[in-house]
Amino acid sequence: MSTQKVIKNLKSFSTAAERFEGSHLLCPGCAHSIIVREVLNATNDNLVVSASTGCLEVCTAIYPHTSWDCSWIHIGFENSSTAMAGVETMNKALRNKGKISEDTPTPKFVTFGGDGSTYDIGFQWISGCFERGHDMMYVCLDNEVYANTGGQRSSSTPIGSSTTTAPAGSTSYGEKRQKKDIVSIMAAHGSPYVAQVAPNKWKDMVKKIQRGFDTEGPVFINAMSACTTEWKFAPNQTIEVSDLAVDSLVFPLYEIIDGRELNITYRPKNIIPVRDYLAAQPRFKHLFTPQYEYIIDEWQKRIEARWEFLQKREEIRL
Amino acid sequence: MSNKPINEMGWDELVPGAALYTFQGDIDYNIAEMQPEDRLYSETSSKAMSVGDWRVIKPVWNSETCIDCQNCWIFCPDTSIIARNKEMKGVDYEHCKGCGLCVSVCPTNPKSLLMFNEYETVEDALGKWPEKKKKGE
Amino acid sequence: MNSKEMNLKGVEVWDGNMANSQALRQADVDVVAAYPITPSTATVENYAMFHANGYIDGEVMMTESEHAAMSACIGAGAAGGRVATATSSQGLALMIETLYQASGMRIPVVLCLVNRALAAPLNVNGDHSDLYLTRDSGWISIDAFSPQEAYDMTLMSFKISEHPAVRLPVISNQDGFMTSHTAQNVTPLKDEVATKFVGDYLQVNALLNFDKPVTHGVQTEQDWHFEHKAKQHDALMGSKKVIEETFAEFKELTGREYKVVESYGMEDADVAIVCLGSTFETAKLAIDQIKKEEGIKVGVVAPRLFRPFPLEELAASLQNVKAVACMDRSAPGGTVGALYNEVSGALINFENRPLVTNLIYGLGGRDMTVAGLKNIFRTLDKDAKDGKINGKIQTLIGVRGPALSFYDVEGK
Repeated sequence: MSTQKVIKNLKSFSTAAERFEGSHLLCPGCAHSIIVREVLNATNDNLVVSASTGCLEVCTAIYPHTSWDCSWIHIGFENSSTAMAGVETMNKALRNKGKISEDTPTPKFVTFGGDGSTYDIGFQWISGCFERGHDMMYVCLDNEVYANTGGQRSSSTPIGSSTTTAPAGSTSYGEKRQKKDIVSIMAAHGSPYVAQVAPNKWKDMVKKIQRGFDTEGPVFINAMSACTTEWKFAPNQTIEVSDLAVDSLVFPLYEIIDGRELNITYRPKNIIPVRDYLAAQPRFKHLFTPQYEYIIDEWQKRIEARWEFLQKREEIRL
Repeated sequence: MSNKPINEMGWDELVPGAALYTFQGDIDYNIAEMQPEDRLYSETSSKAMSVGDWRVIKPVWNSETCIDCQNCWIFCPDTSIIARNKEMKGVDYEHCKGCGLCVSVCPTNPKSLLMFNEYETVEDALGKWPEKKKKGE
Repeated sequence: MNSKEMNLKGVEVWDGNMANSQALRQADVDVVAAYPITPSTATVENYAMFHANGYIDGEVMMTESEHAAMSACIGAGAAGGRVATATSSQGLALMIETLYQASGMRIPVVLCLVNRALAAPLNVNGDHSDLYLTRDSGWISIDAFSPQEAYDMTLMSFKISEHPAVRLPVISNQDGFMTSHTAQNVTPLKDEVATKFVGDYLQVNALLNFDKPVTHGVQTEQDWHFEHKAKQHDALMGSKKVIEETFAEFKELTGREYKVVESYGMEDADVAIVCLGSTFETAKLAIDQIKKEEGIKVGVVAPRLFRPFPLEELAASLQNVKAVACMDRSAPGGTVGALYNEVSGALINFENRPLVTNLIYGLGGRDMTVAGLKNIFRTLDKDAKDGKINGKIQTLIGVRGPALSFYDVEGK
């Protein structure tokens, strides 16, 4: 195990030597790259990174340019996790055979995948990796749609959101299904550490990323990625919308250790109404009509119920 | 390998599997401990490209009012806020897309980063800097 | 070489699956990532047993699907070591997108493909549907007709795959059940000799080489895609030379000689069949018998190398015959079979214009017997003597019910 990089405050964090280059093709204001920069800058160790087909992969590796200052692999949509599992296993094999010296510090194995890959098409692959217990970190870049292909729904899309394949209309309020609880599912795999993070709360996020790096075994991080293009807010509002998300408890920040102990890691000073969060994103604008207004109240109830549940779990340590 | 720029290479000269190298030659240092200006990037790193032409407005940085809090540094999606030795150094206009996040997270009063038209010079922009906003304004 | 040697007898009795497993063991594979499916399961089970008893220094990953198995192989291969897996039929179909990804990314992988029919209906027995599904995937594809050959081919696959001029994944095929579950005499190499023959793995653009960070698996659009596919095709076509060199080196070592196109009885044959797999072995018997019994001079040609397709050698092998039956062991899907297409495509630009017919046979493990082959030879002989195809171009052989033939012959 290598020694953890010490990050005391934002000023000391800013001395990081970046390993994610600009002139990628991500949208102006994209939260994906804020998340990637925070993750990569949280360690000085050697990195092997993989990504699934999606915004991040497409925008950072279009021939003939790469934005990655580290080893990086993309295979397909489902299998960024398994690709990394293969790398991690090869590393083990080569070390056991003495082809990599024992003195070489183990690199960090990090996989990025969008919610499309993580929650849907690549779910089995991640499940397999976590069941086998590979020493890797999986970071889901959760923008709640298939953003790269124009905003189709995924099982991460929250109820009432309008997407191109579940659009709001005169007879529909958009997405009918509840957002899948991926964090609980991954915790149930026996993962030693899973956490939900948001890039605007950088200190909370970096602390969890570092804990993840320090944990042996498969670590799952669900990172909220507010998407200017698909959530339809202005590019300079990404942090503002992210703040609304965590302060309204729509996106609670917590961690689960060894599948049992839940810790809420951010308690807003002032909890703001869910309505304010929804009002900031045109993907929900149809909910502010007499026909569908009840959905907003339903949202508020469910968010509060879940907050109750999280607090109870935190209390009983189970 | 050929010394030609990649755009002039035929199929026979390209790296098999369309693999891309970030740096020129081999490295014998830890990249994470070497600032980008000291690394030897290859032409196939996206760093070599510019996306400055995406902008129609650009952020201008006022070093006088800046407190080096580094909010702009951490929240820039394009690695375009340059900080060294815990101090803000400026905006990398080759890689800045003009999203305006740096302005929105700047905590000073007046802000130390503001958006101006792409065609305005930095000098002119600094000359137009607003005054400190009073309470209630 | 693995730290624990296995003392093999001079002649072992192995089925095709064990032949695979032993070759994988001796090749000192770094990571085997696999998923079980009939009839290739035993390749993986034997290997897992070797591992459990300390004969394998490398890692074994039992993945949750075949797609995951190949994905892990690609990741591990790109990381910088030797990888292999085994599958059949539905498993192959499930991992098909990853096959294209592996070859496009130029990652050496060895896939032991035990050929089995594709559903529906579901069938676990041997035919070549899965082999044919891999046609355009960009992999080198070699066919073994017996357990001895399965051992030899799988061992050679690593050497071919990792060669600096190749760097392409390789499929080592064998017939499901007919080869994989039939035990025959196999003369193996000693562990040390086999490992030395395969050689050390050569790292190229390894993810675990931190001296040279590399990006694998990019996106190329209309301005770059063609160049990379052209380069890949060039490497695949050029691999034939490396394969022939490897065959030659293997002959030096073992005395067993392999050719890109195998043939039997072609020296004086008037007619011929073209086939793949264990049918070649059966054909040798049928050819000898019918020559003695009825004086019909027939030969058999089998592409040992399926991809890259040895077009010139195949055409050359058929220059002296008057009639050829291309025998395809796969449901043809609405047209003539793959071998018919490839043979006709080969012959069209060469001198000889034999009669060419297509026989669909042996689907889902239905046997092709010596007697069945002799009937085929008699038909070929008659066509050749009459100077024309008496029936239609394509016939399904050995199926109960009314005769089933397609495609009329015009003026021939």
